[in-house]
Amino acid sequence: MMASVRKTRGESLLLRYIVLGSWAAVCLLPILWFLTVGFRPRTEIITPQPIYWPNWSLDAWYLLTSDWPIAQYLRNSVLAVAGSVVIDLILAIPAAYALSRYEFKGREDIGFYILSTRMMAPAIVAVPIFFLFRNMGLLDTVWALMLIYAAINLSLVTWIIRSYMLDIPKELEDAARTDGAGDLTILREIIVPACLPGIITAAVIAAIFAINEFLFTLLIASTSKAYTMSVALANFTGGSDGVIYNAIALVSFLAFVPILILVILIQKHLSRGLTMGAVKG
Amino acid sequence: MASIHLQNIVKRYGAFTGVQHMSLDIQDEEFLVLLGPSGCGKTTTMRMIAGLETPTEGNIVIGGEVVNEIDARDRDVAMVFQGYALYPNMSIYENIRFPLRMRGVPAAEHDRRIRQAADMVELGSFLDRKPGALSGGQRQRAALARAVVRQPQVFLMDEPLSNLDAKLRASMRVQIKHMQRQLRVTTVYVTHDQIEAMTLADRIVIMNKGAIQQVGTPDQIYSDPANTFVAGFIGAPPMNLIDGTAQNGRFTAPGITAPCPRHLRGKITLGVRPEDCRVGGDNVQGTVYGVEPTGDMTYLTVQAGAKQVEIKAARDFRADIDVAIGIGFDPAHLYFFNEAGDRIREGA
Repeated sequence: MMASVRKTRGESLLLRYIVLGSWAAVCLLPILWFLTVGFRPRTEIITPQPIYWPNWSLDAWYLLTSDWPIAQYLRNSVLAVAGSVVIDLILAIPAAYALSRYEFKGREDIGFYILSTRMMAPAIVAVPIFFLFRNMGLLDTVWALMLIYAAINLSLVTWIIRSYMLDIPKELEDAARTDGAGDLTILREIIVPACLPGIITAAVIAAIFAINEFLFTLLIASTSKAYTMSVALANFTGGSDGVIYNAIALVSFLAFVPILILVILIQKHLSRGLTMGAVKG
Repeated sequence: MASIHLQNIVKRYGAFTGVQHMSLDIQDEEFLVLLGPSGCGKTTTMRMIAGLETPTEGNIVIGGEVVNEIDARDRDVAMVFQGYALYPNMSIYENIRFPLRMRGVPAAEHDRRIRQAADMVELGSFLDRKPGALSGGQRQRAALARAVVRQPQVFLMDEPLSNLDAKLRASMRVQIKHMQRQLRVTTVYVTHDQIEAMTLADRIVIMNKGAIQQVGTPDQIYSDPANTFVAGFIGAPPMNLIDGTAQNGRFTAPGITAPCPRHLRGKITLGVRPEDCRVGGDNVQGTVYGVEPTGDMTYLTVQAGAKQVEIKAARDFRADIDVAIGIGFDPAHLYFFNEAGDRIREGA
């Protein structure tokens, strides 16, 4: 009796590993394939028969480092993304607090309005934004990208942080208030630490969206002064050299690694409830 | 140290009235318990004293000062919450220190006062832990330490023991009472547990549906209930309330009869506590419905007509169900209530 139970349990575990392993392979294979494309000569990319084990070569890497300011692109990406996330957090944390705690007329409507800005097709505002930034003299600058990314993600960041704040027991604030704390102290010392996982999650999601942003970056950046990794990719698709697949693969991979690191970072925070123990649990 | 006066307090939420025309004087150093079922307005009343809610009408006076317009942070009131409400990101030491920092107590005094407060609740060796690493009882003691550390004028406790198991609750109860006597701080304590109320309180305020039902010492509340609500709320098991009619100095209901004052007539309710009943007698003629031994006594339920009467019988009492049984009342401890549920007192 016990033996058969144990056997089925072992079988179900095996089955689980097979299913998860297959899914992991489906997800990882393109990335690995991509990586091999980045490290093979151009002649081995488009062939009648696929070459699974290429003649490893750093051609694409030499091309990138000699002909393209790839470090500058990477720097622009990191600067614009990091700056936009900081702007988002500075604006979103107080907004989320107000939306989650203060009782005021139209609170839900304002909350929904903020989220609804995310639902709009970006192309609708592309032209006005181009003129706006031109008039401000911000075209082709990293600052403009920072503002754009921040604007795009602000609604989402506010909404995510708000949902975490709603989960913080109101008792904590009541306790802080009777202990003598004012609104800003409560926000700084109680609320922000208690919803730190939410804030980190929101920041990482915003960073991922910002790194991948293409449309507005293309609109605003016109030289390597403001080109980011996502737009730089487009540079390898035209011109007299044709599509340079191995360079595209390599740049994509370079753009992908920071996101991968960020996702691994939030995984830890996503599964961790910092409020645990605050209230009976 | 301060007295608290509630003057005709009303709290409305839209069309719903949470607290209606409540007036109450709480003496300096008194331990007052607000007791009632959930939703009776007791927590709302406490939150108004704390300054976390604003009364719709009426005044709240603490220490001779009207505090209606004074924010919670500026009232010298410490509150202990049902869910402990410890700050999860801070150690126990920092939790207890928080009110001292907020109230601008000189930093040089912090350490001494934190350790004093922690020792009072026997939490001295847990100061560097986070709340998540403590048990329920330890968390509640930490919450108490945080409340006592700044020596407030008033303690407010909102069902502080309801998340603890029964054994821990009993020991914490004694600890809270001892601490209150030691510190001599005016305390308002909210609970729905009558045992907590009876054991802790100098005076109990029984509330129902936002209104005070009775204010009195535990003895008064128990032995002199003002209405059927109070009578039915206090006591375990609570007072038997039997609807019947009075005529010629006799109360009768199906299967039940008892002497009553001659001036009573018509429909009334008889109240008799399970501990004022005894097996053998002719006040109740019924059958045994259930027998529940508890060790130190036996709960006996007798079916008389459509009514079930609860009795505390001797600890060795045993009987089979459906056996005919007679119950006697102690004639000195019978209570009568009119149709509205109010007590009919002798000579009234």
